Amino acid sequence: MTRDREQETRHVETRGGEADDALQRLVEEAVRPVPALAPGSDLSAAALTAEVNEQTPALGLRVVRPDSRTHVTGATRYAADLSMPGMLHAAFLPSAHAHARIRAIDMTGAAGSPGVVATLTGGEIPVNSFGSTYQDQPILAVDRVRHRGDLVAAVAAETEQLAREALTKIRVDYEPLPAVFDPLEAMSDDAPRLHGPSNVYTSKTIVRGDVERGFAQSDHVFEGRYTTQMIEHAPMEPFAAIAVWEPGGRVHLTTTVGRITLARTDLARTLGLPVSRIRVTASILGGNFGGKNEIRVEPALALLSRKSGLPVKVVYTREEEFASSTVRHPLVADYKTGVTADGRLVARRVRLVLDGGAYASWSETTVGKAAILATGPYRIPNIHVEGCAVYTNKTVGGAMRGFGAPQVCFAYESQMDEIAHALGIDPLEIRLRNGFQEGAISPTGQVLEAVGLTETLQAAARRAGWPGVGA
Amino acid sequence: MWYPIGFTVAANPSAALVKVNEDGTATVVSGTVEIGQGSLTVLGQIAAQVLGLAADDVVVVAGDTDTSPMDTGPIASRTTFVTGEAVRRAAVTARQVLFEVAAPILAVPSADLEAAERQIRVKAYPQRTLPIAEVAARALVRDGSPPVGVGTFNPPTVAMDPDTGQGKPFAAYVYATQIAEVVVDDETGEVEVVRITAAHDCGTAINPALVEGQIEGGIAMGLGMALEEEILFDDDGAQLNPNLTNYIIPTTLDMPRIDTEIVETHDPVGPFGAKGVGEPTLVPTAAAIANAIFDAVGVRITDLPATAEKVLMALRAGQGATPPLPATGR
Repeated sequence: MTRDREQETRHVETRGGEADDALQRLVEEAVRPVPALAPGSDLSAAALTAEVNEQTPALGLRVVRPDSRTHVTGATRYAADLSMPGMLHAAFLPSAHAHARIRAIDMTGAAGSPGVVATLTGGEIPVNSFGSTYQDQPILAVDRVRHRGDLVAAVAAETEQLAREALTKIRVDYEPLPAVFDPLEAMSDDAPRLHGPSNVYTSKTIVRGDVERGFAQSDHVFEGRYTTQMIEHAPMEPFAAIAVWEPGGRVHLTTTVGRITLARTDLARTLGLPVSRIRVTASILGGNFGGKNEIRVEPALALLSRKSGLPVKVVYTREEEFASSTVRHPLVADYKTGVTADGRLVARRVRLVLDGGAYASWSETTVGKAAILATGPYRIPNIHVEGCAVYTNKTVGGAMRGFGAPQVCFAYESQMDEIAHALGIDPLEIRLRNGFQEGAISPTGQVLEAVGLTETLQAAARRAGWPGVGA
Repeated sequence: MWYPIGFTVAANPSAALVKVNEDGTATVVSGTVEIGQGSLTVLGQIAAQVLGLAADDVVVVAGDTDTSPMDTGPIASRTTFVTGEAVRRAAVTARQVLFEVAAPILAVPSADLEAAERQIRVKAYPQRTLPIAEVAARALVRDGSPPVGVGTFNPPTVAMDPDTGQGKPFAAYVYATQIAEVVVDDETGEVEVVRITAAHDCGTAINPALVEGQIEGGIAMGLGMALEEEILFDDDGAQLNPNLTNYIIPTTLDMPRIDTEIVETHDPVGPFGAKGVGEPTLVPTAAAIANAIFDAVGVRITDLPATAEKVLMALRAGQGATPPLPATGR
């Protein structure tokens, strides 16, 4: 600031007695503080603060995250690091079968086990279901289990070890049912049913132009099946939560959930309480990737806290995180694509079957996004896409980074290279020839704006030293 | 590859609160949750940009339903685009309070003011300024009008036709290209990814370092999808490898050289033209690696992951010798 501007600033009139004095003090004290987020250090505050964080304008700067220092020094406290006075530890019993009817659950042995303060089964949960689209998933299974990750009962004990010991004393009487693990088998008429009359529970269709006429106009037609696997989010931090049923009748969950607004809604619904009596605090998350987008057993923890009058905590083991969380949907995709001799895409038919596992979770979103994106960022006048998700007796397909997009991208970009290879066209060139430009029409008929596809193709090719592309 | 930002048609709103404190710092209150990607830093930069402040002048508080406004949360690559736009709008409202307080002192209409370099200043005469700290203190202590703002945003969409899917399911899409370089051991089938070049269109890059961090993290995840990650089951439906000793994810030592290119476009809807970058960074990686394997040894893997066993079996089956022929019929 120049001296002239400083003076101009100072000469601004102030009036108003006490208010002016207070104002003057505030203005004088308006030193710019460095956020006290870093742990103790001999270095000066100035040395710990990246200069870029002090600059204006802030847009486009490589600002250093205020939490990076605490993460790398181990000062960050995650949910598993938290504890409260008198806190109990919960443990959950997983299903012993992929598909079975539950005839009876006997909690007597567990209730009398050393250190156990409270037990819970699904029948005690006011509304024992959740799910983002269809509420088809029980928090604790009551009369039926549909995969090995279903949880059938819970205990709260003085230590985690005592809680896990008590699990061994729960007696569950199962009547095993035929199970289906393959999504294509699950679509057949004689396959075991998981929920309603059909295992196909959500689908999406995208149609533009006339795909059969497009194939007829094509010089070459390529067909292929592409399949992808079941993948775990594998965050560094497994699920953890602490529930406190407060004496005033409010419920406070501190939990590893990303979507606190939705979690509050789901807790109010499952516990039968007004939303205003639920408080959800997200802990600092050690990775999400979609696996922490909805509640898991928080309602059961809350009820264990009510029964015991004490805070109740759970931390999933890695095995529980794998089996009882959600996963990326495996995909079976059939692609049929018609092209001209010079590699222009004319028609594409896509059929997608996603293995949704035992419950709906985020399958509707995943099928929808997969179908919308399935033909790729390419101008194809004639398309027909059908996608569906299917129940199987396996781990639940849910929200995971990309919602079906990585699976269909593997298919459409693999086939693009197959076409390029067969026609003797450079893989970069065939994408430039077919790629969306500004104003392109998407498969759903949307006019696209801010389309940077060509620029990314050119930038990546230049940087990678693609043959024939100048650096 | 392409990828949309936000929910498919469905409402996915954000609300945010911005307070300009009496010392010229600001506090943003959001209902999103930091999940490791640096979203709070980006939200702070957005507020700082509107208020003419630096990043460290702004603290972002998030993640408590008792105090935070409603938010759809960190999902669907929507935080910068949707929560960021709510924060931008909230900051504009808070800034307007500062303009109204400063206008009579600077003797211009509030519409002639801007916030920059920690000053409220007259647009046409940038030498006529007041420190934001002074304006904010005056607003609170003398004028009795605390400079706060609430902003909400929900991306505009149009419902899809149930039979044809026609509609406008998303307000914005991003685009990307990744190029993989691999070394394939034709005696063991093992694939080593040695380099990935990644060019991503994210709209305006509000924080290029965090964009690069997302790209590198996404590639790590895509590498696992391409080559090794898979949950396996026994005949009774029990997972065979439910832990990190036999469900193998890439470690730092498995990571290839990564070269990133940020391709900036200007989105007409997002805050300052920003779109997003969270999920799409992973989307093209497995496809690029599979195509690189074909380029290296002529083996087309159509069933992920491309484990050494699968690549070796394909090589032994002679797939590498005869690349697939074009289908002739229709």
